[in-house]
Amino acid sequence: MKKTVLLIIFTLILATSLVKNSTKEIEDKIFVLKGSIRSLNIEFGDVMLEYNFLSSPSKLIQYQNKYFEKDLIKIDIMKIKEITEKNNIMKLTDFIKKE
Amino acid sequence: MSNKDDKIFLEEYENEFSYRKSKTNLNIQFNRIAFIFFGFLTISIVFSIQLLHLGASKKISHNTKSKIDNKNYRADIIDRNGNYLVKTVSSINIGINPIDVIDKKKLLINLQLIFPNKNYFKIRKKLDRGKFFYFEKKISPENYEKIMLLGDKSIKSEEKLTRIYPQRNLFSHIIGQIDDNNQGISGIEKSFDKELKLMTKPLSLTVDADIQFLIREELIKFHYIFRSKGSAAILMNVNNGEIISMISYPDFDLNRRETVNDLNFINRATKGVYELGSVFKTFTVAAGLEEGLIEMDTEFLNLEKKLKCGNSTITEYDDKIPSDLTVEQILIRSGNIGSVRIGQRLEIDKLKSFLGKIGVLKKIDFDIEEVGEPISFRWGKCKLATVSFGHGITTTPLQLAKGYAIVTNGGFDIKPSLIKNNLDLGKNSKRIIKKGVSKKINSILRKIVTTKEGTAEFANIEGYEVGGKTGTAQKTKIGGYTRAKVNTFAAIFPTSKPKYVMVVLLDEPKTSADYIYEYKNKKGSYKGTPFNTAGWTSVEVAGKIIEKIGPILATKYIEN
Repeated sequence: MKKTVLLIIFTLILATSLVKNSTKEIEDKIFVLKGSIRSLNIEFGDVMLEYNFLSSPSKLIQYQNKYFEKDLIKIDIMKIKEITEKNNIMKLTDFIKKE
Repeated sequence: MSNKDDKIFLEEYENEFSYRKSKTNLNIQFNRIAFIFFGFLTISIVFSIQLLHLGASKKISHNTKSKIDNKNYRADIIDRNGNYLVKTVSSINIGINPIDVIDKKKLLINLQLIFPNKNYFKIRKKLDRGKFFYFEKKISPENYEKIMLLGDKSIKSEEKLTRIYPQRNLFSHIIGQIDDNNQGISGIEKSFDKELKLMTKPLSLTVDADIQFLIREELIKFHYIFRSKGSAAILMNVNNGEIISMISYPDFDLNRRETVNDLNFINRATKGVYELGSVFKTFTVAAGLEEGLIEMDTEFLNLEKKLKCGNSTITEYDDKIPSDLTVEQILIRSGNIGSVRIGQRLEIDKLKSFLGKIGVLKKIDFDIEEVGEPISFRWGKCKLATVSFGHGITTTPLQLAKGYAIVTNGGFDIKPSLIKNNLDLGKNSKRIIKKGVSKKINSILRKIVTTKEGTAEFANIEGYEVGGKTGTAQKTKIGGYTRAKVNTFAAIFPTSKPKYVMVVLLDEPKTSADYIYEYKNKKGSYKGTPFNTAGWTSVEVAGKIIEKIGPILATKYIEN
């Protein structure tokens, strides 16, 4: 009986130290990964900021005036069509139904 | 064997070295079990100490981090589509402490190699003065590396938080500004100061940068056509109160970080408190329908052309308005006397209670602190008469939009919001106006735009079922009115199932001699503004805005 108890205790201690050791390794990996994610996030944020600035409506209008001769035109909602598919048949209907 | 030999001697044995119990109480028996438990206990204590140590050290590092974060961290702000409205960028400032300089000449030569375009005569003077000064602010990473490689102790680097606003003026009144110590001083930056310092993800707003841009462009265009002092526009979802766009013009570029003291730059959409005129007639009619005192076809006969109340006279704006009108016709033709009669039928308590219910009488609880407070007044017989047609009562354009949303969305209470997570998407909205009132109101609002008697023909944009009510009011001054006007148009669309409310307000517009109007309900055009009324100014602006943003709203938000 005493030997069994002793054996269990030592097994538990051994298992705990092994688990703790492997957890520490995983923790280290997580730490490194978090570090790289952080730097990637910063980079992503900067790229997004640049993209948002360059693709902002005011910038696009500026480019349009600079590089294109024709003016931008607004879409007439009455000309927008809706495509629906039923039994492999495509149907084109008016997006806005007339009053 | 002799006798002597046969004798056996018995003698009691007395040991001189007998065992005596020890006087000490310690009686440790080192058997195996005790040894094991002792060993286990020791290991446990060691582990516990280590755990406690780890726990304590983690806590310390966490505290340090949060302190650093509070000073140098602030969450970004994005629009409903994830576009940056504000982005925090950390920048480094380089300063020089002359006391720590060992070789002044050598330092200046080295600095000149990295920054050849600086005025080194001035820098030498600063070095001679012996006081700390900033050498280069917001230094580039390349130059930072170069300058730090000099290894000079007198060169000090300082990390600073910088807010970048890629949309420049577009959201100046909504976002607001921060000071040098990372404290919000206006707009969302102020009201969400704590949250922005703590949250790890960007703060998501309900606004749409593209729609905001299009509306602002139209406001600026008409600002010059009608030479107005300022203007404001709000586009809001009537069902959940999310604000898709909110503009007040003139605005300012947040990147310049200027102190704005000119009162003309106030947020007219939320802070401006105005007497908005006939747009209030919709509320009077809605209150009458809510109380069951009137119906759409209820007739008011022999309406006077003039009404005297105290010292003031109430007249009709248009002399051609017939004397016999139904409720529907009163609202379509914007009849003052008819509205007074409806108000009188309602009496003070009912009209006051209705206006209170839709939230136009008191200060609104909103996501930014720059909110105006409607001027309180004492109700009386004359006040009831003037309030019925929207005079002698003030509110903000935001509260007007809220009121129109409630009156047209089926009677459900909503709370205007700029923060995406704040919204319950109308799921838990409480009905505060009877079912059926909205349907009647919406049909009248549509007729105001489609019929020739209506005052808002220029907003009849094909495909959007626009409805709305105009309001032309004179600006107040102490003890009376000025000649300057505030022209407002409150629009809803589509009227068959309202989704959006849009309020356009022009502050002190003037007539334009050259602007060409395209008729919507008949063929042809008209040059010049004949009357300085909402129908000829703010309605035209609203129509142009809907024409531009309509396709985006109809297609982009189709699932919403």
